[in-house]
Amino acid sequence: MLSFDYRGKSVLVTGAGRGLGFAMARAFLEAGARVFVNDRNAELVRAAIARLPPCDRLVPAPADLSTPDGAANAVAPALAAGELHVLINNAAVNVEKSIEETSDEHWDQHLAVVLGAPFFTAKAALPLLRVSRGCIINIASELGLHAIPNNIAYVSAKHGVLALTRALAIELAPSHIRVNALCPGTMDTELMRQCAQDSGDADAYYRSFRAYHPLGRLAAPEEIADFVLCLASPAAAFMTGSSIVIDGGSTAGRL
Amino acid sequence: MSLFADRHILVTGSTRGLGYAAALKFLEEAASVVIHGRNMKGVEATASALARQHPGRVRGIAADLADRKAQDHLAAESGEIDVLVNCAGVFRDQLLQHAGESDWRDMIEVNVTAPWRLSRALLPVMRRRQGVIVNVGSDAALLGYAGSAAYCASKGALAGLTRALATELAPEVRALCVCPGPIDTDMMRESVASHPDPAAARRLWESYPLLGRIADPAEIAEAILFAASPACTFQTGALIIVDGGATAGRRP
Repeated sequence: MLSFDYRGKSVLVTGAGRGLGFAMARAFLEAGARVFVNDRNAELVRAAIARLPPCDRLVPAPADLSTPDGAANAVAPALAAGELHVLINNAAVNVEKSIEETSDEHWDQHLAVVLGAPFFTAKAALPLLRVSRGCIINIASELGLHAIPNNIAYVSAKHGVLALTRALAIELAPSHIRVNALCPGTMDTELMRQCAQDSGDADAYYRSFRAYHPLGRLAAPEEIADFVLCLASPAAAFMTGSSIVIDGGSTAGRL
Repeated sequence: MSLFADRHILVTGSTRGLGYAAALKFLEEAASVVIHGRNMKGVEATASALARQHPGRVRGIAADLADRKAQDHLAAESGEIDVLVNCAGVFRDQLLQHAGESDWRDMIEVNVTAPWRLSRALLPVMRRRQGVIVNVGSDAALLGYAGSAAYCASKGALAGLTRALATELAPEVRALCVCPGPIDTDMMRESVASHPDPAAARRLWESYPLLGRIADPAEIAEAILFAASPACTFQTGALIIVDGGATAGRRP
């Protein structure tokens, strides 16, 4: 395993309560960073921090990112600390609905959290990132590159995230701020296990997702998190505006 | 020519610019067309002028697509539609540090949410009539432009919307996204005029396409017509890039 040194660096991870967000918070913490831990309320943030080794480098940053004010609140602890090197826009919602079942409320929530939050969180963090010559990583999805049925709001928003990433990369390049997007395939998270159970036939659910990825398995959140540490490090100093695919081959073709 | 005889077409944002050029060509190909614009005066002027040349085949509906009730009104009044062309769009240049909530909301609402909500509302009719949805995207879905993050995000989302519609609605309804580069429209002229050095701003836009110029709206309308036409039988979920080569590479 590659190791990266984040001692003296500050990182904000949105949606860090569970899944990939939690794995990234843990990985940055273990690499020496101060981690601002965001999820949508104080209780979720407290629970996430309680699952990590006790450390004064963990800072709660609870905020509901579905509004621009919420995005500013998530950045507020970093502003108070006066420092931020890495912004990870990871928070998302993803509820599968057919076109006919997709309500205005469902659409608005997905567009606000998946697409609006990265924009307004980046805006709020911009003064700090200018000073640190830092970087932004938007966690998109393979569904930013292709579509599946019954996920129209999420697919639309994730495609938007990739275009947003390119525009911000071009705009912020003169300020030496890098902006990249990561497009993971399906990960084996708590959410995934819950969905599998809810489906009534967990084995069949998992089989269908494994078959979807040519490597024949789901990703572990930890292996995506390790890659994010690389992407935020000087190892990726010449990367900006990229959409990096890490999807077990699912967008490359069909088995 | 009568490529669209007996076909009913709604073109949003068709009182001027690209939408107008497309509406004109649809009418020349024998279609019935609903002209749409934000204000009644503009819609009436355009619709009555077009109706003189194409009597009985032009209707006009005014609706501010930033307003959901108006979106619903447009869908309800459009009736039996075979082809929905989502052309209305909002473009506002704004650096991230100056980005305002209302500008973001307007661009997302008009550029993505209105096409989505119109598609959803017209779906029962379009499924029955083997309809086509043509979304007018932008090369900004594929190329990042400084000062246009919200616009790029909205057009990227529109490309995603197109793919998702195509995935779920095949084979009854086709959905395509025509992605133009810079076009010589009021939208472009207003953006250029608001620049501190308009001539330089225009030269910059002209420098993006390999062809070294800004498109005439009629050139992009041709692509919209093909996408919507019965001749286009095996294309769905595609981004049809009509950008003079802007996304292909850079000129020396």
